[in-house]
Amino acid sequence: MTISRRSLLQAGLAAPALLSPLLSQRAVAQKAGGIIRYGLSAFPPNLQPWVSTGASAGTVKMLINRSLVGYGPNGELRGELAESWALDKDGAWVFKLRQGCLFHNGEPVTADDVKWSIEQIAGEKSTAYMRAQFQGVERIEIPDPQTIRLVTKQPEATLPTWFGNYNTFIIWRKSQPNEPIGAGPFRLAGQERGTSLDLVAFDKYYKPGFPKLKGIRFVVYADENLRNAALMSGDVDMIEYVPWQSMAAVEADQRLKLDSVEGPFMDVLFNGTKPPFNDARVRRAVAHAVKRDDIVKAAFFGRGKPLEGLPIVEGTPWYDKELAHGWNYDPARAKALLAEAGYANGFQTTMLATAQFGMHKDTAEVVQQHLAAIGIQCELQLPDWSTRVNRGVRGQYDMAIHGVSSDNNDPDGLTVVLDTSLSPSHGRSFKVDAPRTIAALAKGRAEFDQAKRVEIYKEMQRVALEEVPLVGLAWRSQGYGMTKDVKGFVNLPGALTTSSGCMLEETYFG
Amino acid sequence: MSAGWLARRIALSLIMAWVVATIVFLALHMVPGDPAELLLSTGGAVPDATAVAELREKLGLERPLLTQYAAFLGGLLRGDLGTSLVDDYPVLHEIGLRLPRTLELILAGTLLAILIGVPAGVYAALHRGGAFDRFASGVTALLLAVPVFVVGTLLVLLFAQTLRLMPAGGYIALAQDPVQHLKLLTLPAIAIAKGLAAVLFRMTRSAMLDALANDYVRTAYAKGLAPRRVLIVHVLRNALNPVMTVLGLHMGTLLGGTVLVEYVFNWPGLSTPLLRAVEARDYPMVVGIVLTISILFLLINLVVELLQVLIDPRMKTA
Repeated sequence: MTISRRSLLQAGLAAPALLSPLLSQRAVAQKAGGIIRYGLSAFPPNLQPWVSTGASAGTVKMLINRSLVGYGPNGELRGELAESWALDKDGAWVFKLRQGCLFHNGEPVTADDVKWSIEQIAGEKSTAYMRAQFQGVERIEIPDPQTIRLVTKQPEATLPTWFGNYNTFIIWRKSQPNEPIGAGPFRLAGQERGTSLDLVAFDKYYKPGFPKLKGIRFVVYADENLRNAALMSGDVDMIEYVPWQSMAAVEADQRLKLDSVEGPFMDVLFNGTKPPFNDARVRRAVAHAVKRDDIVKAAFFGRGKPLEGLPIVEGTPWYDKELAHGWNYDPARAKALLAEAGYANGFQTTMLATAQFGMHKDTAEVVQQHLAAIGIQCELQLPDWSTRVNRGVRGQYDMAIHGVSSDNNDPDGLTVVLDTSLSPSHGRSFKVDAPRTIAALAKGRAEFDQAKRVEIYKEMQRVALEEVPLVGLAWRSQGYGMTKDVKGFVNLPGALTTSSGCMLEETYFG
Repeated sequence: MSAGWLARRIALSLIMAWVVATIVFLALHMVPGDPAELLLSTGGAVPDATAVAELREKLGLERPLLTQYAAFLGGLLRGDLGTSLVDDYPVLHEIGLRLPRTLELILAGTLLAILIGVPAGVYAALHRGGAFDRFASGVTALLLAVPVFVVGTLLVLLFAQTLRLMPAGGYIALAQDPVQHLKLLTLPAIAIAKGLAAVLFRMTRSAMLDALANDYVRTAYAKGLAPRRVLIVHVLRNALNPVMTVLGLHMGTLLGGTVLVEYVFNWPGLSTPLLRAVEARDYPMVVGIVLTISILFLLINLVVELLQVLIDPRMKTA
């Protein structure tokens, strides 16, 4: 058979037309099979159940593991392996386990597994994220095989939320160290390091009718624009972290929808060991000097909200409109505060951020401009992220820009960023003096009465506005993009947005 | 070209690879950044300092640098590149899985560049000053000027996002789905090929022009050889030598170019884990991959030298 030039050309031209139905057939086949293709922003560094390795890892971990409690669509704590929990008359937390929960190997979930898991988290050699919290547990008692009683060293009002964190899972107590066996709605069926993970539904999951999907295929797209292109071209059904600049395009696309909430926030951190930022008045001057709208516009394409107080989520009982604007934009006041602190003519300083993440760099640039307007000239230092972390931990900076999400929507979740008496970290100010804020946080943690807690945390906000352990700058929008036939997924409110992955057990194609 | 010469070249290459590995190892440990701290701070999380210290201990980062280097060299001699600090995954497995994909991308790109660049260069030289020559020279200038990530992003925008003809990026094994595999390979291969095709076009064109001007070409025509034979045996064979040299040099730089292309198209070759490992200060992974890339670079150069000798026996004495 001879192939003429013409027939070859014709074949070449026809090829795309022949191939594209093939591609869409693949997609349709996967949807019909109940397998969702999900564009992940980062490959989980590892899937160790108790070690914090980021929110993308958290999404996968939440689906293959389970804890005593979890979050429902409205952001309320709900029972998972535990069907109920309460404080007993002696101030200990008692959890009742649900009947019939099984690990992926078919073993039942027992109180012994819960005890063992907590002991691993709190252990001497532990590298767990919740290590410090669980070391506050003095005794773990098992009155009967379905009940677990936690006696804490100090009263702990927010203990149940510890189990809601995606770094606190109950693992089968006889698991091999590198093969933790969980009780989540999906099983890990396969993975290729750095590229993709495949989950399949666990057929003996304790919630009847769940998960609704047969499986999830996680594909990693580290580049945000490619992740978005993958959604728009139909390569995947859903993506996390829709880039801010692409949110409008996703909203405008007939086939797609966007679910976004303002959860994580940007803030300024200080080095409190040396002048000028060891003076609360100077820190407060910074707080009043920055026009937050500019950050929302420049760094987040308008997809965010100014933050002029502590990062307390609007709509929660702890939110107070006046306190939420306690650091309103007021350059005259900022200048007056500087003068009061003895810096009427301003000063020169440095600001640490990272060029590796555009939002950090853009935020830093806006802050730099506004500080210059009140006489604070800062030189930007924009190393890579690893250097930024390293210098932050060691206090090698004057001011730093950071972006984070607190652990949950309870103000106690802010301890990790506000309590400057904790060990130095890149994510909180370095040895800034804020004794009254820290005392108020401790008081709130030990109080069980809701009305009193609300008052304590309002007071905490009041003193923090004066002590300035950090300066809030902006809430940033966190969006999930998906095709319109993806149903049942909810982006959880506020700080819980990074825990929304658990909603994939309720997700289906409709 | 004696066996001794080859042995010397290989030994030299190995020594150079060792020097590269050592420099990378030391440089990585000198720059700020702590793998344990970074891992536990993923996504901006605020880790517990004691947990960080425990992890450092567990990963063996508290040992003196020389001890760590000795352990690394010892492993290297046994053919063991160690395991990732992040998830304990063996470095050799990662390289074994991903190196073939990077090579496939480079080979596909190179092949494409040769298939486009060389014939176009020949044609342009034979029709010097013609419409095609002028057009192609302009296009190559453009191709050389536009960075590879811009071309990559534009390709994704046009073919995946707007026309929805091609997948935006990713990878599927050839055995699993050959059609999809080739579709996924197409755009990154074009992005890789574009610079090299331009270079090859220019090189071929000017080498052809040089060769065409030689007396022996005139003689060949004069003694009545068929134009096709003159072109292939007398002109092209002589013109190909500088083209081969340039190709060899550029295949090395293609290794660097794949970093961007693999990133833009989510092609899971060697570059992405390298980038991620550098960011995470995953020392064994970085050193292992850099070592592999250097050996590959040296190997390509060696092969190109051998090929040159085959094409042009005069090179043997050089």
